[in-house]
Amino acid sequence: MANWVPLWLHRLGSPPVFYRFAGAVRPWAFGLALLLGAVALYGGLVVAPADYQQGDAYRIIFIHVPSAWMSLFIYGVMAVAAFIGLVWRIKIAEVVAMESAPVGAAFTLITLVTGSLWGKPMWGTWWTWDARLTSELVLLFIYLGIVGLYHSFEDRRQGARAAAFLVLVGAVNVPIVHFSVNWWNTLHQGSTIRLLGPSHIEASMLWPLLTMMLATKCYYIASLFARVRADLIASEGGKAWVRDIALGQPGNDPA
Amino acid sequence: MTPGSTPAACAALLRRDLTLAWRRRGDIAMPVLYAVIVTTLFPFAIGPEPALLARIAGGVVFVIVLLAILLSLDHLFRGDIEDGSMELLMLAPQPLALLVAMKILAHWITSSLPLIVVAPVLASMLKLPPEAMPVLVIALLLSTPLLCLLGAVLVALTAGSRRSGMLLALMLLPLCVPVVIFAAGALAAAQEGLPWVAPIAWLGAGLAMALVLAPLACAAALRIAMDT
Repeated sequence: MANWVPLWLHRLGSPPVFYRFAGAVRPWAFGLALLLGAVALYGGLVVAPADYQQGDAYRIIFIHVPSAWMSLFIYGVMAVAAFIGLVWRIKIAEVVAMESAPVGAAFTLITLVTGSLWGKPMWGTWWTWDARLTSELVLLFIYLGIVGLYHSFEDRRQGARAAAFLVLVGAVNVPIVHFSVNWWNTLHQGSTIRLLGPSHIEASMLWPLLTMMLATKCYYIASLFARVRADLIASEGGKAWVRDIALGQPGNDPA
Repeated sequence: MTPGSTPAACAALLRRDLTLAWRRRGDIAMPVLYAVIVTTLFPFAIGPEPALLARIAGGVVFVIVLLAILLSLDHLFRGDIEDGSMELLMLAPQPLALLVAMKILAHWITSSLPLIVVAPVLASMLKLPPEAMPVLVIALLLSTPLLCLLGAVLVALTAGSRRSGMLLALMLLPLCVPVVIFAAGALAAAQEGLPWVAPIAWLGAGLAMALVLAPLACAAALRIAMDT
């Protein structure tokens, strides 16, 4: 078994190495997100046929559903990073968890807004106290609470640890959001796309959706890495590697 | 009880917290006063029709009790952190989770018990039918300790931060949604003459879980927030 993988992961835990790695990956992830997003939007808005019942209004799912997936996916990433940060006190894990929260909150907000825009013509109301809508709103509040707690501490690492704890407490809500449509049979429809078994969706509608899902993942990586770089620069301000970057000197490479 | 043993330390801490609260009796009255004032605002705001008030009475009382507890939670650990006794509790040989549980118990006795006592009065001000009163009291007896335990974990997290008032509300309110749903659900069922045991049992299950987990989580959160 090659041991360069654990070695590489171990090195990635060092802020300057992660800073450079994130800087190298970020433009590619952002470019890929734009490209895949454009392809998915073309596929979803132009190529895919109109729905027999909803007409063209259904096309908002190409934004709504990937955002909803991301709102849960990011919470999962954040919870894993928060756990790693709390247990092994790895600084990068703490920063990744904390900088995921605003991105996750943005995706949750997009999910709620697009769902509300779709709900007006389809359900006849902007908002209803449906189980999934309510639990998604609660998810937004949890994200905002995490962001607020992180920024309320003088000491960033202390704030990160406290907020990481809140991430783990709030993780209870994620399965509730995911299974709400199965547990409570309310207005929001059940999931049509299944990992196991056949999906209840036409292939010409499915591929733009999955492409958009990849695009949002790439966007998350790009946005997260940009935020992590900014956070690392801010919190490591006094360190030599930051000074070297600020002064434009290559510096001695710790990697 | 031998001095220095864990039961003796817990008893001493409980007695100390209750004595401190008793010396400042005005503070105990504040949440009750707050609940009474907010309750009297409702008939002014939505109109005094008894049928309308009776329909919303249960939910309104639960939300008011929740907000009153939220207001009182802010100074659960503040005094101890400011005068340094929290550090001593953390350094004590007894498990911090148990000591914290005693502090939460003392807080529940001083802040929530008075609220439970006045809640039937508030509910009858809002024309809640008398046959639903026992369910209201049972639901409050189960849900207020649950809220205190959940709240204590979050208060512990904000212990080291600069501002915490609104932040505490932002963090606590999403977590207590299920408590409100089950408590108000039991009351609504009782008002309509339906069986109300199931939501009460859910509350009891949640309380049993929180009794075990919340003090441990609270102790861990205090250690994080105080950075020891």
